[in-house]
Amino acid sequence: MEHFIGGTMMLFGDPQAILIFVLGLVGGMLFGAIPGVNMLTLGAVLLPFTINMNASHAVMLFSVIYCAGVFGGAITAILFNIPGAPENAPTCFDGYPMTLKGQSGKAIGAAVSCSALGGVASAILMMTATGAIAGWAVRAFGPQEIFALIFFGLAVSASIGAKTLWKGWLSVFVGLIIATIGTDPVGGVPRFNEGSVFGLEYQSYYLSAGIHFIPMILGFFAVSEVITQAMSIAEGTRERPKAGLEFPTLSEFWSVRVTMVRSIFIGFFAGILPGIGATLAAFLGYSQAHRASKNKANFGKGELEGVVASETANNAATGAAMIPLLALGLPGGALTAMIMGIFQIHGMEPGPLIFINSSDLVWITFAAMFWANLCIVFLGWLQTKTVVHILRVPFRWLAPGILLLATIGAYALRNLVIDVWVMFLAGIAGYLLRKTGYSAAGIVLGLILGKLGESAFSKSMQLMDYDFLGFFQRPIAAGLLILAVIVITTSIINEIRDTDFQKALMD
Amino acid sequence: MVSSSQEDVAGIRERIDTPVTYIRPILEWIFWVGFAALVYAQTGYFDKKIPEYAFGATGWPRALTIAMIIGATGQFVYQMASIWRGKDLAAIDGDDSEPQANGKTATLGSKLQRLGIFVVPLIYLYLMPRIGFYVATPIFVVVLLLLFEVRSVITIATVTAIVYGLALLVFTRFFYVALPTGRIEAFYDINNAIISIVRAGM
Repeated sequence: MEHFIGGTMMLFGDPQAILIFVLGLVGGMLFGAIPGVNMLTLGAVLLPFTINMNASHAVMLFSVIYCAGVFGGAITAILFNIPGAPENAPTCFDGYPMTLKGQSGKAIGAAVSCSALGGVASAILMMTATGAIAGWAVRAFGPQEIFALIFFGLAVSASIGAKTLWKGWLSVFVGLIIATIGTDPVGGVPRFNEGSVFGLEYQSYYLSAGIHFIPMILGFFAVSEVITQAMSIAEGTRERPKAGLEFPTLSEFWSVRVTMVRSIFIGFFAGILPGIGATLAAFLGYSQAHRASKNKANFGKGELEGVVASETANNAATGAAMIPLLALGLPGGALTAMIMGIFQIHGMEPGPLIFINSSDLVWITFAAMFWANLCIVFLGWLQTKTVVHILRVPFRWLAPGILLLATIGAYALRNLVIDVWVMFLAGIAGYLLRKTGYSAAGIVLGLILGKLGESAFSKSMQLMDYDFLGFFQRPIAAGLLILAVIVITTSIINEIRDTDFQKALMD
Repeated sequence: MVSSSQEDVAGIRERIDTPVTYIRPILEWIFWVGFAALVYAQTGYFDKKIPEYAFGATGWPRALTIAMIIGATGQFVYQMASIWRGKDLAAIDGDDSEPQANGKTATLGSKLQRLGIFVVPLIYLYLMPRIGFYVATPIFVVVLLLLFEVRSVITIATVTAIVYGLALLVFTRFFYVALPTGRIEAFYDINNAIISIVRAGM
C-alpha cells in the first residue's frame, strides 16, 4: 500500500507528471474515439519524443494511453458501429443497436463505468500480485495451452455476430485462411505470394508480408457501415438514430453485476497471456455473457449486458497485460511492445529485477493506470453528455470524414496504397457479408488469432513429437480442449433443436 | 372448408416443390467449396518441406480448407433441413435485402447512385497515386456528398472545407503523414505546393 501511495505522490506531486498524465488520458480517449486512428497511432507518433523524457514519465504516459485508448474505441463502436480498435468490436453488437433505439447515452454510460471498473480491478490485481501471477502464467502456459486457449476462444466466439453457427464458423475460417497469407511461422516459407488462378498467374511482394488486420478492420466495420448507410439513403429507408443522454440506472448496473465480475476475471486472465490480450478477452466476455444471460434473445438487438461484458473484459486486460511486460519482459501486444521499446531506449531491461532497481518507475506506472481508470469515469461522463450530440449531425455529412480518416489510417500504417485497396475491398465484402448473415467480427477474430494459433500449434507439435494426445497430458490444455469440444457439440445440438432438424430428417 | 393449418402445409409444400428455393443453399455451398478448393490448389505453389516441421508450410492452410468444406456442408444440410420444415430461409439466414415498404422505387438514377457507392471509392483509389491525395481528396468528398444526396452548394462547400481542412491540419501539418503526392508531374507539383502552404511557418 505504501508503494502505491508513494507512486501516487510522485504522480500528483510533480506538475510535469500531471501534465503528461492528463495529455495521455485525453489523447488516448480522443485517438481511441476517432475512426481511422487509434491509440497505436498516437503511440507511434509519440515514441520518438520519449527519448528526451524521464523514463518513468514515458512509461507512465504509454500506460495511461493504453487504458484510455481501449475505452475510447467504444465511443465510435456505440455511435457509428465502427470500433476504434479490435478489442471494441464486440461492443458494436449491442452498443450500436442501443444507439438506433435512442439509448446511446445509456450504452456509453455503461461502457464508461464498466471500462473504469474493469480497469481499476485489473490495476488492483496487478499491484498486488504481479510477480506471483507472472511466474505462474509462464510456468503453466506453454504453446499447448496457448493453442488450446485460442481454440477454446474461437469455439465460444465463432457464432458472434453471425445469423447461424455455421455462418459464424465459416467466417472464422475465412479469417484464419487470410491469416496464413505471408510467411509460415516455422520455416519462413512465403505463402500465397505467387500462383495461378484460372490460368492467370500472379506474384506479389505485398502478399509476402501478409495482410495486416488494421485495414481489414477499418474495411469490415467503417467502410461497410458507410456503404450500408449510403444504400439505405439511396433506398430511402434510413432511420436517423436518436441521441439519448440518460445514464444507466443503479438497478440496471446491479442487474448485470455477475456479468461484470465474470468479465473482470476473463479479461484479466486473457490479458496476462502474451499475445492473447484484450481482443480475445472482449470476445470471450461477450460470448460468456450471452451464454449465461436470461435475455439471450435480446443479444445483438441492443442488450445493455452485451456492452457491459465486452467493455469490462477489454479494460480488465489492460492492467493484466502489464504483468508479463514488467515482470518478464514479454510484451503482449503492439502498445506494450512500444513500452518495451521505451525501456530499451532508456537502457533498462524489464524483468523481475525491475521491481528492485526501478521501483519508482513501476509504482508511478501502477498508480497512473489506477487513477487513469478512475478518471475515465469523469471524462466518460462528460463524453456521454457531449459526444452523443455528434448523432445530431446528419450522417451524410459525417460519412466523407469517416471514409477519409479510414483511408489515411489504412495508408499511414505502412505507407502503401494497396492497404487502402484492401480496406475498401474488405468494406464491400463486409457489406455483402452483413446482407447474407455472415460475421465480419468472426473474420477479424480469425485473422488476429490465426497467426498466433498456428505458431502455438506448430511449436506444440514439435514439442510433443507430433502426438496429438500430448495435449491431454497437460491439465490446462486438456481442460480447455475438452471444454471447447463440449461448447461446439452443444452449439450444434442447440442449432439442430432450433431448426427442428430431427423432425426434418424423420419427415 | 379448408383449415389454416392445411393452408400452411399446402403453402409449405408449394414452396418446397419450387426449385428456386434450393438455389441459394446450393449456390452458397458451391461458393464455399469452390473457394476452399481454390485455396487448396494455391497451396501447391509453396508445398516445400521444412526440415524441423513435419507438416510443412501447407499443413495448416490445407487443414483449414478441409474444415471450411465441413462447415459449408454443415450449413448446406442445416439450410436444406430448414427448407424441408417450411421455414423462411431469408428470415433465419439474415437476408434482409428485400426493399422495405416505405423505400424509394428503383429508378435508373437510384440504381446509378447505388452503383456509385461501390465504384466511386475505387476510382478515388485508382486516381490517388496518380494525381495525389491532396488533389483527389476534395473531389472525392464532393462526389461522395452528391452520392449521399446533399444538394445544397453551401453545405457541400462547408463540409468539404471542414473535412479536407482538418485532414490537412492534423495529418499533414502536425503528424507529418507522408500521403501520396502523385506520379503525374503537374499534379506532383500541385500536391507539393499544397503541402508547403499547409506547413508554412513550421
